[in-house]
Amino acid sequence: MSDEIKSSLPTPPPDPQPEAVQSNLPIWIVVLTLILIFIGGLYFDQHGGWFQAQVYGPYASADQLELYQPKSGAAAALAHGKVVYEQVCGLCHGVDGLGKPGQAPPLAGSEWVTSAGFNRLAHVPLVGVNGGIKVQGKDWNMAMAAMGAALPDADLASVLTYIRSSWGNKASEVTGEDIHKIRSTLGAHPAPMSGDQMAAMPE
Amino acid sequence: MTANETIHPTAPATEIDASCKLPLLALLVGASIWLVIGSVLAMIAAIKFHAPDFLGACPLLTYGRVAAAANDALVYGFCLPASLAVIIWVFARLSQTVYALPLVPVVAAHIWHLGVFVGIASILLGNSTGFAWLEFPRGGSILILVAFVLIAIPTAATFGFRRDRTLYPSHWFLLAALLWFPWSYASANIFLVSMPVRGVAQGVIDLWFGNNLLFVWFSLVGLGVAFYFLPKLTGRPLYSYFYAQYVFWTLVLFGTWCGIPAGSPFPAWIPTLSNFAGYLLIVPVLGVLIITVKTLAGAPVTSSSDPTVAYFIAGLIAFIISGITLHLVAHNDQLARITEFTWFGQAQTQLQIFGFLAMILFGALYYILPRVLGFDFIFPKVTRAHFWFNLLGSVALVIPLAIAGYEQGSHAYNLDAALPALRVSSMGLLLILIGNLLFAGNVLAMFLSWKITLVKSIFSAVTSPLKAVEVKS
Repeated sequence: MSDEIKSSLPTPPPDPQPEAVQSNLPIWIVVLTLILIFIGGLYFDQHGGWFQAQVYGPYASADQLELYQPKSGAAAALAHGKVVYEQVCGLCHGVDGLGKPGQAPPLAGSEWVTSAGFNRLAHVPLVGVNGGIKVQGKDWNMAMAAMGAALPDADLASVLTYIRSSWGNKASEVTGEDIHKIRSTLGAHPAPMSGDQMAAMPE
Repeated sequence: MTANETIHPTAPATEIDASCKLPLLALLVGASIWLVIGSVLAMIAAIKFHAPDFLGACPLLTYGRVAAAANDALVYGFCLPASLAVIIWVFARLSQTVYALPLVPVVAAHIWHLGVFVGIASILLGNSTGFAWLEFPRGGSILILVAFVLIAIPTAATFGFRRDRTLYPSHWFLLAALLWFPWSYASANIFLVSMPVRGVAQGVIDLWFGNNLLFVWFSLVGLGVAFYFLPKLTGRPLYSYFYAQYVFWTLVLFGTWCGIPAGSPFPAWIPTLSNFAGYLLIVPVLGVLIITVKTLAGAPVTSSSDPTVAYFIAGLIAFIISGITLHLVAHNDQLARITEFTWFGQAQTQLQIFGFLAMILFGALYYILPRVLGFDFIFPKVTRAHFWFNLLGSVALVIPLAIAGYEQGSHAYNLDAALPALRVSSMGLLLILIGNLLFAGNVLAMFLSWKITLVKSIFSAVTSPLKAVEVKS
């Protein structure tokens, strides 16, 4: 009803509303956002523990947490074996057990390591090898010192257990007593065996 | 011609302003009283760092209660109702229609202030819920939630009746703010107070809500209002539509995950994700910087002609500083090791409250109130003095608090190391308190003179027919 009166009157000027420039969004800010998301993603990958409820700061992943957990029984022997392996053997055979060309043959998947018995395997670190051996069909012509001769029985046993059950290897465990028995059959200073001698040893 | 245009014709500015008068007064008179009460309570809390036994004999005014009550009075008593008042006016003006159902917010404003009163009284009496920013017990929180929804509905309806169907950037920010608060406040209250979840999740929810209120909600309102007034006052278009859109989406997407400190005792992925989001906040902050600089570039800063421009510029600068400190300090592993769980967090909070949101709200209200009421401030020169009190007060409050936090963190959380800087910050609080008294005095004087003219006009309306009756008899 009042509209009729209004339309006859001169309408008051409408309130000017603010306006926005309709220019394009520059691509650099989108690129910057994507770069920041990528860097942030790397940060999350390194610190976030991938949504595992057990992982609290300052630990960053379930693996890290596992490493610091105290262990007992077979798991403890295995963890100890990993530590000794990485100190004594890992330098040449690699922490991943894949060996190093020109230095040492692989342990992962090696028929020497995964054999049913461990008599032959235990002799390798106890007496050392001199000369070529064949691993997975490939010749390795080099020498290995008796790296395990100085290790206590329990340490050497846990190293052998570790290499026999890691990197996809699935062979039986070795105990300290087994190593003690094998060691007692050797003399005070056994000579290194040649590759052929070693291959002829009973498993 | 759409149906809308015939039902809701473009209203002249004076008519729009008149339709907002009663809701704005109902919200702002209470808000300015809470502003003073909040700053006085904050002052009492600050004095306890100078004289620990000050008012110590009165259990109502012990530090733990006063500090919480001060924060809540400032945020729920002032910031939220004042924001709603500004949103009501901005939406009505942007829609170019009179405000829909102005009496609903009037009723809601009284419910709101009753809710805040119940909440603050409960905190002082020792009945707080114990969750930061959610201290109000059920009575208070339900009242303010209902009041917020009652104000949001007619405001959204006014938005729906807008004449110009295209959206201006402020629309997104302010409409999101209307939806954001009921959602986050209701969820946090349900999961912490009504049906409490167990254990670790409680702390996560509380921190999530605190960040969503103080960072996301404050930013939505502050930026929405600033993006409305900055072009209007400088006479230049906002630069640009797409930057504002980018700021909006990145703020909403990343801002809501922030606020969980790096060292908090939660599963590592929660603080890490929060750091990730805090790190990405650099994008909206950069966007706001570009918008501010490009919109103002070349424009003569007309603070001499309109004193309110300075409020918006200062508020936006405070937002940029707050965003950068949030990104660089609160969510950086190395720096957070020193500053988290110290006074540094309080510096961040006070910067958001006084430096950013309150600054922008003061500027907006100094622009809106004379237009809505139809007459100028009773003490117009005070509006400029208030700017300096609030600006210098914020600087003198926030910087010493940040230093106090740093000192505390680098001295094994020893409060003695923080004490000298903490005492300096009381000076800033005092300046802010004086400024707030000036604001509240101005608003209340305006309200009283409006009330007096109203009573006078009623009185003359009542007295003149009496004569007519006498003539008739």
